[in-house]
Amino acid sequence: MNRLIVGTVAALTLGISPALIHAQYNFNLAGRQVQVHSFGSQGFAYSNDNSYLTMNTSQGSFNFDDLGVNLSTQITDKFRVGAQGYTRRLGELNKGQVTLDWAQADYRFEPWLGVRGGKVKTVLGLYNNLQDVDSLFTWALLPQSMYPIDLRGSTIAHYGGDVYGKIPLRKYGKVDYTVYGGELPSDPHQGFLHALRTIFTEKTPYTGSIYGGDLKWTTPLKGFLAGASYMAQHPSGSGVGAPTGPFPGQPFTWDSKKRQISQFYVRYLVKGLHIDGEYHRDYRDLSIRVPSMNQLSDVQWNARSWYISGAYRLSRRIEVGSYYSFFTPDQNVDTSLPGNHIYDKVATARFDLKSFWTVKVEGHFIDGYGAIDSARGFYDGFPGPSSTGSGFKPQTNMFLVRTGFSF
Amino acid sequence: MKRLLYVLLLAASASIFVAPAKAQVIVIANPGVKTTEISKNDLRDVFTGSATKLPGGVKVVPILLKAGTVHEEFLQVYIGKSDAAYRAGWRSMVFSGDGSMPKTLDSDAAVVEFVAHNTGAIGYISKATPHEGVKVLAVK
Repeated sequence: MNRLIVGTVAALTLGISPALIHAQYNFNLAGRQVQVHSFGSQGFAYSNDNSYLTMNTSQGSFNFDDLGVNLSTQITDKFRVGAQGYTRRLGELNKGQVTLDWAQADYRFEPWLGVRGGKVKTVLGLYNNLQDVDSLFTWALLPQSMYPIDLRGSTIAHYGGDVYGKIPLRKYGKVDYTVYGGELPSDPHQGFLHALRTIFTEKTPYTGSIYGGDLKWTTPLKGFLAGASYMAQHPSGSGVGAPTGPFPGQPFTWDSKKRQISQFYVRYLVKGLHIDGEYHRDYRDLSIRVPSMNQLSDVQWNARSWYISGAYRLSRRIEVGSYYSFFTPDQNVDTSLPGNHIYDKVATARFDLKSFWTVKVEGHFIDGYGAIDSARGFYDGFPGPSSTGSGFKPQTNMFLVRTGFSF
Repeated sequence: MKRLLYVLLLAASASIFVAPAKAQVIVIANPGVKTTEISKNDLRDVFTGSATKLPGGVKVVPILLKAGTVHEEFLQVYIGKSDAAYRAGWRSMVFSGDGSMPKTLDSDAAVVEFVAHNTGAIGYISKATPHEGVKVLAVK
């Protein structure tokens, strides 16, 4: 009951605070204007059976909020610097730790050629680098097959650099390109580690090289955009087997020999209509070595995801929409099994109370729960020695309310 | 009491769906901007952050109105987006580190004043607003 009261107070505070803090704060530093912007949200989720995203949603949970603040300034016409801090609470995964979301220096020689370096948000598909900003989307929760909130840290940013630009194609529209490379930041709070926490404890961060690129074609057809992204990662790390796992107390290393993500997407945005579609292939080949037991395991996943969404703005203040999201952790296994798929049908109404303040009401009708190592929302119901739960039901219905602001 | 509640509910619903009155929008620029016309595509690129120069290399800086009929009509006629979608576009750039938010002013008069005194500034106002000190760009 106390938690409910605290959650309600938190929700009300966040609901009221946008009106109090609505302003664009700029200040001068050494003669240059520094812009300050922020965004934040508070959610409440209630599901009929299975708990979702490590929140206790079957009892109703407010444990879903975030806040981001950034500062940026234009040093010259072509040179800009900025940084953003980000914190969130999400069930057991994140408990308010503040992270440096991005911090970069950006030099644009010409519209067709720019470079940026530092900690940079990674472009992947339509929304990977934007997924945290609730106010940008119709949905309270983006399609989890494509943008899993519990695996955010595995693709969200990189330490390194980008080369990017915009190339006009005359009557054929224009192309935006990005090519990047660097180091994958470690994320000790991501769902993958949480899912496997009863098998091992991480000792050295699971991180390594990352590179990839993205092409976005703004077509001559008004409002229609198409694109493709590619990402390759090579993370590795080490840990110690947990007492309940298959190699208790034994040190081990794990090495992602290969992780390749391909993503293809389209967007149609005209007047009040907004349609998105994305397809995603994620292939991973991971080897786990336990030297003391002279043991080497090779594990492969061949996941597939796609979604299609449609939203329509009825008025300045109301937008409605729906999406269907498909995910299978391994397409080489029978995808009709609830343990090898998650299908999510969603209906949403978004209310723009002010230009900076939104409230979203959303229903999820989820079929399946994926695999334990797919780390897509469902964690504590897997049977066996590596679980504390007592099994999942194949269907989950969830009601979600989320209020957010940005300025 | 029930009837009063019904009327209040109806009025609240109507306020959500009511369309704003139309205004005639003109595009203005600092006199130093060396052009007298601008294409609709170039105007859209400048006001969505896709371009900072006009063909011929003329550098321009967009100035926005905070809200209101003129702002909504400008977005509808020249940008082809709702206010929510338009703001989402700029927020995407701001929160991913790709750009900075353009200067936003409260009134037509403030836009005229700013555009008149800042090199490269380009904005939009109601046709009825006095606009001495700026040039009007024809949108082709």
